[in-house]
Amino acid sequence: MDKQTHMNEDEILMRVRDLKKHFQVSAGFFGQNPKFLKAVDGVDLDIRRGETLGLVGESGCGKSTLARTLIRLYSPTDGVIEFNGTDLAKLKEKELTPHRRDIQMIFQDPYASLNGRMNVRDLIAEPLEIAGIGDDKSRTARVHELLEVVGLNKDHANRFPHEFSGGQRQRIGIARAIALNPQLVICDEAISALDVSIQAQVVNMLEDLQKELGLTYLFITHDLSMVKHISDRIGVMYLGKLVEIAPNNALYDDPKHPYTRALLASIPIADPVEARKDNQDQMQGEIPSPIDMPSGCRFRTRCPLATDLCAVEEPELKELADNHKVACHYAE
Amino acid sequence: MSSAPLLKVDNLTTHFHTSRGDVQAVRGVSFDVKPGEILGIVGESGSGKSITCLSVLGLLKANGEVVDGSADFEGKQLTGLSDKDLRAIRGDDIAMIFQDPMTSLNPTLTVGEQLIETIVAHKPVSRGEARKRALELFELVKIPSAASRLDNYPHEFSGGMRQRVMIAMALTCDPKLLIADEPTTALDVTIQRQILLLLKDLQEKLGMAIILITHDLGVIAEVADRILVMYGGMVMETGDVYDVFESPQHPYTTGLLDSIPDVRSHKKERLTPIPGSPPDMLRPPEGCPFAPRCPHAMQQCLEAMPPLFERPNAKPTVHEARCWLHHDDAPDSLKAIFKAPEAANG
Repeated sequence: MDKQTHMNEDEILMRVRDLKKHFQVSAGFFGQNPKFLKAVDGVDLDIRRGETLGLVGESGCGKSTLARTLIRLYSPTDGVIEFNGTDLAKLKEKELTPHRRDIQMIFQDPYASLNGRMNVRDLIAEPLEIAGIGDDKSRTARVHELLEVVGLNKDHANRFPHEFSGGQRQRIGIARAIALNPQLVICDEAISALDVSIQAQVVNMLEDLQKELGLTYLFITHDLSMVKHISDRIGVMYLGKLVEIAPNNALYDDPKHPYTRALLASIPIADPVEARKDNQDQMQGEIPSPIDMPSGCRFRTRCPLATDLCAVEEPELKELADNHKVACHYAE
Repeated sequence: MSSAPLLKVDNLTTHFHTSRGDVQAVRGVSFDVKPGEILGIVGESGSGKSITCLSVLGLLKANGEVVDGSADFEGKQLTGLSDKDLRAIRGDDIAMIFQDPMTSLNPTLTVGEQLIETIVAHKPVSRGEARKRALELFELVKIPSAASRLDNYPHEFSGGMRQRVMIAMALTCDPKLLIADEPTTALDVTIQRQILLLLKDLQEKLGMAIILITHDLGVIAEVADRILVMYGGMVMETGDVYDVFESPQHPYTTGLLDSIPDVRSHKKERLTPIPGSPPDMLRPPEGCPFAPRCPHAMQQCLEAMPPLFERPNAKPTVHEARCWLHHDDAPDSLKAIFKAPEAANG
């Protein structure tokens, strides 16, 4: 709440328009009819400065590919990624360098994403070094400072990743990500590999850092309870498209897309009385292949409301209530 | 529910011998599984929940050893049994499924062939009869267009369907007990719910008992009858699922429940994590393993291991918690932190 008072709600940090990332999966016969996996297939999204935007969806929905395209780990097939007024999608690799430090990423597995042969000091100093900031001594001082910020201390600087627990390793990953004072931090399943009791520690820390450093988060996860807790707004993805986006309470109180309803109905609730209530919105079937996409609305093959219209016409993402957009012919 | 237990585990103690010393993975775990019930074992990584079950089945890695205690299945002692005898029980009476079904399937054979092979290995039937049985099993676990799916290879199945294949395979010999170790952890929530409901359905239809091992209290809440909360290689709390969730009697259980955000809440409240990290099982604490992280720890907790204290229960199942705060001499102010089950269910 207090976040919004000192934040201009309308200030958009990143504006994404019709973003596509297609991967070619087969060349086709003599180059004819090549097949594409449309991982991200026309996404419009605004990320507002200072907010936490959650992104949810089943595996294969394209949420991680979207994240990787936003930071240009992948080159987009088409579309616009406007960040601070510059279209990152159009930039060449070299031209991207000055922008890289402003967008950082925290990955799921802190063990795989930290080089095991480097000590903590070098791991956290590496981004500073690459950006050419300070000398050896000042970088070490900054590393000590960052270690304090993420709840570790300078005695940890000379140790190696394997000497730490999963939660501590994720703190190191976070220190590395914020070392360059980024504006946008993308958390891709950043807490999923951690134990429940440790997840809460890391989430609290992410919230504190956001307040202190004015960070904007794109928080990608399959954990539907945690995403509601941490996000201001949440987008729901299905087969490469955004099907609904709304402020967190509005989405959970009044989900308008049948997919969102089914997704929310499968949240495991740690209360046997609630968990065993019969739920009408139980999800049927599984996510289809993003190579052979259904015609019209992508969700129609699993949708209880699907009609002939859904097979021929793809619904557009429309604003149905304040800040609440839905892509469904029958949403109201 | 007073029938004789199917599985009786008593004071089970398992160590792993390493170059740095013995890792005390399981420290005196005792529990029963009754025929036809679902027992949920919950705990974080390193709590000993999986090792407990692997010890029961004799599936420990070479450096693991059951150093004390016993496991009894229908009156037969499992600990100390020869590999050959254990294998017979594992195949016929007790089956197990794991988190990642892909690693348990042979990628070069169709799932039908693998299923038929399993059936023929355990039952005196022809391949034709085995195929018929395989088809029945596929239908039982609700794989759509079962007949044609038998001829697919593992990679042609999604994660959820692969887990169904594994369940079908586990059911070939009508086991009396199915041990499911994090069976839904790698799956999406939508698919997780489908698999959990399938397991519940099979338990009801076949009268099979299930031990469900998970780190997710939500999974337990959804299907288990009874719960065992493990920490530091020990049972910290056990009881009927409704009793334990309504009125947890151990600060660790309370801490776990408080760490999860309440999806029904509208207010943005700060999460209440459990401070610190789990104990190093090479040198577990002398007293209660949770004491170093416990907000209510007393001197006593750091020095001596608390026994399991029996707690009031609203359901017929015994409710126990390993916490010194339930001792008669503990200060009343601290005892007051626990909710009484009567009030919760009244």
